Amino acid sequence: MKFADSFREGLRSIAVNKLRSSLTMLGVIIGVAAVIAMVAVGTGASQQVQETILSLGSNLVTVSPRALTQDTLRGAGQQSQNLTLDDMNAVREQLGSQIVAMEAEQGAGPWQLTAGGTNWNSRVTGVTTDYPTVRDWPVASGTFFGDDEIRTYQQVAVIGAFTAQNLFGDAEPVGQTLQLRQAFFGGGGGRQSARIISFKIVGVLEAKGTTFGFNRDDQVLVPTTTAQRVLTGRTNSVNSIVIKAASSDEMTQLTRDVNEILLARHRIADPENADFAITNQNDTLAALSTVTQTFTLLLGSIGGISLLVGGIGIMNIMLVSVNERTREIGIRKAVGGRRRDILSQFLIEAITLTGTGGAMGILLGWAITVAVKSIQPTVPIAITPGTVGMAVGVSVAIGVIFGLYPAMRAARLHPIEALRYE
Amino acid sequence: MSDLLIELCGITKTYRMGKDVVVPALQGVDLDIRPGEFVAIMGPSGSGKSTLMNIIGCLDVPDSGTYRIAGTEVGTLDDDALAAIRNKKVGFVFQTFNLLPRLNALENVELPLIYGGDGHRRRERAMESLRLVGLADRTHHRPSEMSGGQQQRVAIARALLNDPALILADEPTGNLDSRSSAEILQIFQSLNDDGRTVVMVTHEPDVAEHTKRVVRMRDGVVQHDDPVTHRRRAEDELEAAHAALATVGAARPKTP
Repeated sequence: MKFADSFREGLRSIAVNKLRSSLTMLGVIIGVAAVIAMVAVGTGASQQVQETILSLGSNLVTVSPRALTQDTLRGAGQQSQNLTLDDMNAVREQLGSQIVAMEAEQGAGPWQLTAGGTNWNSRVTGVTTDYPTVRDWPVASGTFFGDDEIRTYQQVAVIGAFTAQNLFGDAEPVGQTLQLRQAFFGGGGGRQSARIISFKIVGVLEAKGTTFGFNRDDQVLVPTTTAQRVLTGRTNSVNSIVIKAASSDEMTQLTRDVNEILLARHRIADPENADFAITNQNDTLAALSTVTQTFTLLLGSIGGISLLVGGIGIMNIMLVSVNERTREIGIRKAVGGRRRDILSQFLIEAITLTGTGGAMGILLGWAITVAVKSIQPTVPIAITPGTVGMAVGVSVAIGVIFGLYPAMRAARLHPIEALRYE
Repeated sequence: MSDLLIELCGITKTYRMGKDVVVPALQGVDLDIRPGEFVAIMGPSGSGKSTLMNIIGCLDVPDSGTYRIAGTEVGTLDDDALAAIRNKKVGFVFQTFNLLPRLNALENVELPLIYGGDGHRRRERAMESLRLVGLADRTHHRPSEMSGGQQQRVAIARALLNDPALILADEPTGNLDSRSSAEILQIFQSLNDDGRTVVMVTHEPDVAEHTKRVVRMRDGVVQHDDPVTHRRRAEDELEAAHAALATVGAARPKTP
């Protein structure tokens, strides 16, 4: 029996029992739609997390000070002054071409900003020249400060797009003066004084948006050296050294090399006692993707359960179908139908049911995601070709798995008993 | 090689119903049928004639004994090979017609070709077969839209499609009125005239008189096996019936 014949027979028997077939298909449709929609949400969330991490710059290895703990002594952690600009320069010298770029940062905390008649509040960070390269974050207008400004502690600033919008509106910030203010009680008699430091704005960063509910465009970047001297007073120390590797594959090696260089520089024999910690972005990504994958798997399983229920519906209806067509099976066997002919006829019928249901389920799942997106645009949703392929594959597989038993029952029927069946 | 079409030797078949009830349907049947014969198998119900029919048609296999059809020993064949014999060498005609209700006449007739592997000119061959039984104008009618006689003719067209060596008919006129029965018997007779072997199970003696040989069964064995001496021709009966009808029509008083 040719496939086309089997297929035609399958379609015919589906067409004869339209209501029953569509109700049966509904189970698969809902199941597939649920899987598609659920996995789309999971995949969307996963992609969002990944994009977020990578939007902080890709292929990054970050060195930060580590809290030293010895007996009852507890070190300062992030604020301890273990890492210096010299560390950065040493790493750069020794690794040379192995790295694409690197920069060192020192956080100066939040400051009140004033420019013209407006004021704003933003966090200020000291960074070095390669910040735009390392963070994949170019300036939208103006320029980034260079090595000269770093060396000479220039009071120049590059501000985030959101900060610029708040301080200057639509006016051009580059070339304007920005004042950083910190009010404090001092000078005796309970008088309030303020420290005011002026910076010249040399550039505005491109807008990057919000990450984990944290507006990344609201910040002020100044040379690390200026931050150290003028803003924090913690000269020479930095909070983090960020190194960009040439590719994702080189990050493990890079992590190892940086570790060795710094251990040697800090004269630490036992890596357990290192006064710094190195974070590999790949590790972060891997850890987060484990979380999102679990999330996706969980959502997918919920959809999968409805798909399973749909599959059982298919099996049920196929068993009924085989039962009420016992005589037909007998006739087909009497005119020469072999076991495999009967088997394939019923199997193809089941697969046609689930395959059609699967295709419709994909459309429904897609419609659901579109609907969800139009109601709640911020919900990350992504239907990938992989999801669609999987849904089609699974629905066809369900046809095979749940159609096989009824089809085998049909194929095994004895021709005479089948013919006598009333 | 023998020149026999059907060679049954010592065939037994026992059915078990439940645990304890054993029904010996066939208890050693010997029967030879030559090509071109027209055989009626008769006997009371429970005599084993249907079982014998099923075995001849390869719908069932004997418990013991040997059965050859056209020289092929059936006992050694597997399921698929039996299906192939049913498809190629045997054409079945049943009492209840056994047409697929969802298919029209043409599609019903095509059915053996779907399983026969030889799919070319399927439609034309099915048409030809329907024409042979006089139903060329009923190709797209479903079984429910046809009379019993027409349905049985579709079944015969289906049985003939793969040009089988043997036509097996199980009470083919059992559900038909006498006129349709005569038509069906006429088809069988003309098929037999053309050299086709026909084996027919019936319990009506006047139907059996249309054949050339009557095999009578009782209690699972062949009791009598005799040639038909005064063979009836279905054609003559149809003509006679036609004439009678005309007479009735002529005798009816004309309306003023």
